[in-house]
Amino acid sequence: MMTANKVTPLNPAPEPETETSDAEARASSRPLLQVEGVDKVYANGTVALKGAALTVKQGEFVSLLGPSGCGKSTLLRIMAGLGEVTTGTVKWWEQDYDVVGSKGCKLAFVFQNATLMPWARVRKNVRLPLDLEHENSAESEKKVDDALEMVGLKGFDESFPRELSGGMQMRASIARAMVTEPDLLLMDEPFGALDEMTRNKLNDDVLKLKKENGWTIVFVTHSVYEAVYLSSRVVVMAARPGRIVDDIKIDKPYPRSPDFRISTEFAGYCRQVSQALERASGMGESKENC
Amino acid sequence: MSTPLIRNERFVQIAAPLLVGVLVLLLWQISVMAFDVPKYLVPSPVDIAESLVTDFSSLFGALLMTLKVTFLAFVISVIAGVAASLLFVQSKWIEVSLFPYAVLMQVTPVVAIAPLIIIWVDDTTWALTICAVIVAIFPIISNTTLGLRSVDPNLLSMFRMYRTSRWQELVRLRIPGALPYFFGGLRISSGLALIGAVVAEFVAGTGGAKAGLAYMILQSGYNLQIPKMFAALILITLTGIILFAAMVWMSDRALRNWHESALKVEH
Repeated sequence: MMTANKVTPLNPAPEPETETSDAEARASSRPLLQVEGVDKVYANGTVALKGAALTVKQGEFVSLLGPSGCGKSTLLRIMAGLGEVTTGTVKWWEQDYDVVGSKGCKLAFVFQNATLMPWARVRKNVRLPLDLEHENSAESEKKVDDALEMVGLKGFDESFPRELSGGMQMRASIARAMVTEPDLLLMDEPFGALDEMTRNKLNDDVLKLKKENGWTIVFVTHSVYEAVYLSSRVVVMAARPGRIVDDIKIDKPYPRSPDFRISTEFAGYCRQVSQALERASGMGESKENC
Repeated sequence: MSTPLIRNERFVQIAAPLLVGVLVLLLWQISVMAFDVPKYLVPSPVDIAESLVTDFSSLFGALLMTLKVTFLAFVISVIAGVAASLLFVQSKWIEVSLFPYAVLMQVTPVVAIAPLIIIWVDDTTWALTICAVIVAIFPIISNTTLGLRSVDPNLLSMFRMYRTSRWQELVRLRIPGALPYFFGGLRISSGLALIGAVVAEFVAGTGGAKAGLAYMILQSGYNLQIPKMFAALILITLTGIILFAAMVWMSDRALRNWHESALKVEH
């Protein structure tokens, strides 16, 4: 959880830290999100999801990976309470959606695009969730300052979104998610439109912020490398109909340094996930051909 | 080193159309003089300028009357148009039920209904204003409704995630997002308010103290005072240009920090 008096900017190099195993933490933690037998059929008859089942426990970093149109974003939106399910159930903190927003059950969403209000300065964009929750105290101003500092946007608070680069806009979007001090962060392919260097940098930033704030993250991506680097679990989905076909544990403790990207262990996980993804794509095609 | 005037964008924006205007006027003056065209057929620019000076008091009084109707109609169109748009976006049912009537007002020629309005409304100024409102209101309703509905769906999802009220959604998201569309509507509507006022004056044919520029044109035509007719026409055109320029200025002021339409692109 982000605290008001603890601010660590993102830009300095990561300090060496004690390794902790997510697997251990996961075993003792309670589920934050439970998706059970969820089907989603759109009005035009398209089956977006079929029998999706997934449990996300506290402290996990779960990536949803799959070909286009496999229902990753649909599933994520359902997890955010933004989409109705046709059948099945979704539980947040083992309760109904009403619990979302209460203390200890806060949820934030980072969209594929930065989704900033173009008419508002960065500061106003970042403090939007607080404004919507009528939080106008001096403490809320400090939360905005801290969030801007943590994502490395201090000094850009009076800029308009158009004056920022794509990466900086995405950082502002992450800062906006941070100010509410979320317990569960849902990210819908947030770095998909960025160049590889910026993407790698933001990947490291997200891992750092996750550690500092104790976030649980569900992350949609198209990139096998990104999924393996970031996640404690990679959930592979197949298309037509969208369904979960594999759940691969990445048993590499956090923190993960950029060296992990060039290790044989990383290559091994990438191969395993790629094979699962190929199988998933094959499933979609064979269905389609039928 | 100072930039040559020819490379100054602002200077070119003003000077280029001005130069074209001066050339056209010169050509006009020379043609009228060369072909000895009588004043009652095509007056020369000098004749028109003379008329603007000699008939200033009657033309200025008529201009004020036309301006009064135009401004009243424009202000009412903006207030009523925005109110209607806000009502439309509250529910698809309201929009579906009422929007066809807004279209009905737009497609009914004002010259066809103006005589009725003039019969029904005693006060001439208000009768003319109502006619002008009927002409000017539709772009405001149409554009503002479109703007209020054209919200980034992700931003809307975010607002809904925080369980915001409709009021918060309207004030913080829909209204700021609709501003470019609203200003687009203003640009069209300001010109239409003037056209509506002039057309209504033509139909009403009001003289005396309430004579507007349209009446001046009619009267001058009957009396073969063609230079005065042109002078009245020029005043109408100038009013339209000034109104449009004012709307562009307002729009630029409001949107210059964030909207593509008002941003200065640096190469």
